[in-house]
Amino acid sequence: MTTTAPPEPRSHIPASPLPGSASQGSAAGRLWRAGRLPLAVITVLVVAAVLLSLGKERFPTGHLEPDNPAPGGSRALVQLLQEDSNVTVTRGSEAAVRAVERAGDDTLLVLFLDHRLLPEELDTLAGLETDTVLVQPSLRSLHTFAPGADVTGRAQDERTLEPDCALPAATAAGGTGLVGELYSAEPGVEALGCYPAPGGSAMLQVAAPDGSTTTVLGTGGPLTNRELDTAGNASLMLNLLSAEDVVWLRPDPPTEVGSATLWELVPPGLRWSLVPLALTLLLFALWRGRRMGALVPESLPVVVRATETTEGRAGLYQAGKARDRAVSALREGFLERSVPRLGLHADAGPNAVVAAVAARTGEDPQALRPLLYPVRPDPYTADDAAMLRLAEEIDQLSGRLR
Amino acid sequence: MVVTGRAALLALLATGAVAISGSLGGTVTYVAVGLVVLLVAVDVSLAVGPRKLRLSREGDTSLRLGETAEVFVTVANPTGRRLRGSVRDAWPPSAHASPKAQPLRVGAGERRRVRTALTPTRRGDARAAGVTVRSIGPLGLAGRQRTLSAPWSVRTLPPFHSRRHLPGKLSRLRELEGQHTAMVRGQGSEFDSLRDYVPGDDVRSIDWRATARNDGVVVRTWRPERDRRILIVLDTGRTSAGRVGDTPRLDHAMDAALLLAALAGKAGDRVDFMAYDRAVRAQVKASGKGSQVNRVVEAMAPLEAELVESDPAGLVSAVLTQGRARKLVVLLTDLNATSLEEGLLPRLPLLSSHHLLMVAGIKDPQVEEMAAERGSPEALYRAASAERTLGERHRISAELRKMGAEVVDAGPEHIAPALADAYINLKAQGRL
Repeated sequence: MTTTAPPEPRSHIPASPLPGSASQGSAAGRLWRAGRLPLAVITVLVVAAVLLSLGKERFPTGHLEPDNPAPGGSRALVQLLQEDSNVTVTRGSEAAVRAVERAGDDTLLVLFLDHRLLPEELDTLAGLETDTVLVQPSLRSLHTFAPGADVTGRAQDERTLEPDCALPAATAAGGTGLVGELYSAEPGVEALGCYPAPGGSAMLQVAAPDGSTTTVLGTGGPLTNRELDTAGNASLMLNLLSAEDVVWLRPDPPTEVGSATLWELVPPGLRWSLVPLALTLLLFALWRGRRMGALVPESLPVVVRATETTEGRAGLYQAGKARDRAVSALREGFLERSVPRLGLHADAGPNAVVAAVAARTGEDPQALRPLLYPVRPDPYTADDAAMLRLAEEIDQLSGRLR
Repeated sequence: MVVTGRAALLALLATGAVAISGSLGGTVTYVAVGLVVLLVAVDVSLAVGPRKLRLSREGDTSLRLGETAEVFVTVANPTGRRLRGSVRDAWPPSAHASPKAQPLRVGAGERRRVRTALTPTRRGDARAAGVTVRSIGPLGLAGRQRTLSAPWSVRTLPPFHSRRHLPGKLSRLRELEGQHTAMVRGQGSEFDSLRDYVPGDDVRSIDWRATARNDGVVVRTWRPERDRRILIVLDTGRTSAGRVGDTPRLDHAMDAALLLAALAGKAGDRVDFMAYDRAVRAQVKASGKGSQVNRVVEAMAPLEAELVESDPAGLVSAVLTQGRARKLVVLLTDLNATSLEEGLLPRLPLLSSHHLLMVAGIKDPQVEEMAAERGSPEALYRAASAERTLGERHRISAELRKMGAEVVDAGPEHIAPALADAYINLKAQGRL
């Protein structure tokens, strides 16, 4: 095959472009060769990340969160409400006020987690002439929205409570799991209590002088995805929250503003002293850090032991378990030292050496031969113990020859 | 610019003052910081400018390794102000200059001499890196610093530890010349003179022809050859960098070469010196009679082992270009089988046809210790590897001897006397 192969065509060498452009091309090629692996890795990572993120929607979490499909959220209720009314989800009082003002007459404000609102915001919201549903309000907002109502107890053991009132939404729903705080109105306040329990009512509707009503619920439990389908919860809530526009206010935690920081509490003298302190540190650093002149460089000689190659070879022998080589080196070393001592020439043959050693020590030549010269199979290269035995016997022998 | 601890302390005081200033903080801060900066600036401007100082040097220029040399810097202050501060004479780390920095006070128009002691731990030339002068102002807060150039160089010579062998070897040499108190007949090989027979002379040295012409019996006297040429070649290649004990092979070789040079100089031979790896690194040619030791020592001082493979072929040709007169070539190298077999052995006949070659190698006692290790397979592998090294050394020595070269193979402690003995033996045999 090789004989019939035509000679390698070399015409491409003169046909190559100018040296400058050739070197540029090779530089680009080098760049490409150097960069293609990282590029491929990054591409693979991006594609994988995109594929993994597909089909995954991140839902917000939190109690009574309108988009939260978890048991503690209230996505189910909000989705149901959206079939009949415009539900506006707001996160702050200002947005809620705007939403209420934008909406029509039939508007309902549902307020959760009202402890996150400031007193001024509560006042503003209470001033809106619109129906309001408070879910487990704080005492402050209860007093703001429904003056005259108060927390008077807490339902303990009951699973469900019966409506036992004239409110159509409640009577239609029947028993519900509205088991939480219990409210009562002061005498003289126009109020309708439903779901009574020992200590008060779990739902209290207070009418304001302007005609709007404030409904207070003792717990947010029936609004959650977990409990919406139990007892008459769904019915109660849908009836209670039926309005053309529902403004769902779930305030975000308030951000801190305007409080005095630690910095402002420090006396001004101490604050100012940071400037000379910085100067002190700078001067201290200069004092300790300034050298007396530059470092003096010096080229140092190599430090390499003369035995390094020998030790390296020992490591190779050991790594390769080269018992045959080790044994032959030990034998040769012994012969090199002993043969001149026996009065023989360094080139003396095995037979002569064995005979001379046997004559001097009285050993059996048959036993000496495999010790001093390799035979097949060599009994001293079988394992480590055999190699150690050889070293011991050779040492004994050289001791007796001395 | 430099600042002192006093400046930092002043700034710390300013910090304290501002801290207790209360509502006046802003004003007090400006005043305090401004005061500190101002005082520092004033002190810097009042300090004597180091650039105006005049420096001069004196002191030792060479020393043997292990000794201490003194170098002095004289600082002259031609300005009208008093210089207060410190000075550092900077040297490479291996020169071990002490003290590192010392206080300096030079009055207006005065001069001060600053002493620095050097105790180098490495052979070779150490060059002064510069003199750093720090001048502090009158308030002691800050000052100026500058590194001035004051070139000086101190050469550290090989220690020549083997000098202690010199008296013993010289007495052996005198024995050859028949001048020794033991009154042994000179065994030299060169005819010296005829003299009358005295009882006790070896009858074999009677010159019968001269006796026939004279009244009494006349004997010939012999003396060792003189005015022979010796070329000491130091291999500075890769293998000479290996450390035997704690010293590179090169330094052991230098020690041996120095003893040989001293001995041969005393014996009336002319000693040339050459250091070679791939090129001639140093060379000393004998000029007339007398000891060349000092010149050889000077030439050796800056030599370092180069990390290249030596080129024996180039070495042989460099030796041959030194003249065709027969000489003893002493090659101090490692008896490394591979490099010698490939490089030197093929060219040995060429060299031997003109000159007598003596190869001296330094044995590593650690290899022999390794060869005696026993007890575990690991120890045996080490022993076997050491045996292999020893075997190769043995083999190359035998080959060199077979080709007519003299071989001296001894440990680092014994190489210098062994080489001297080999030289004396050659002289006694009249083979030079």
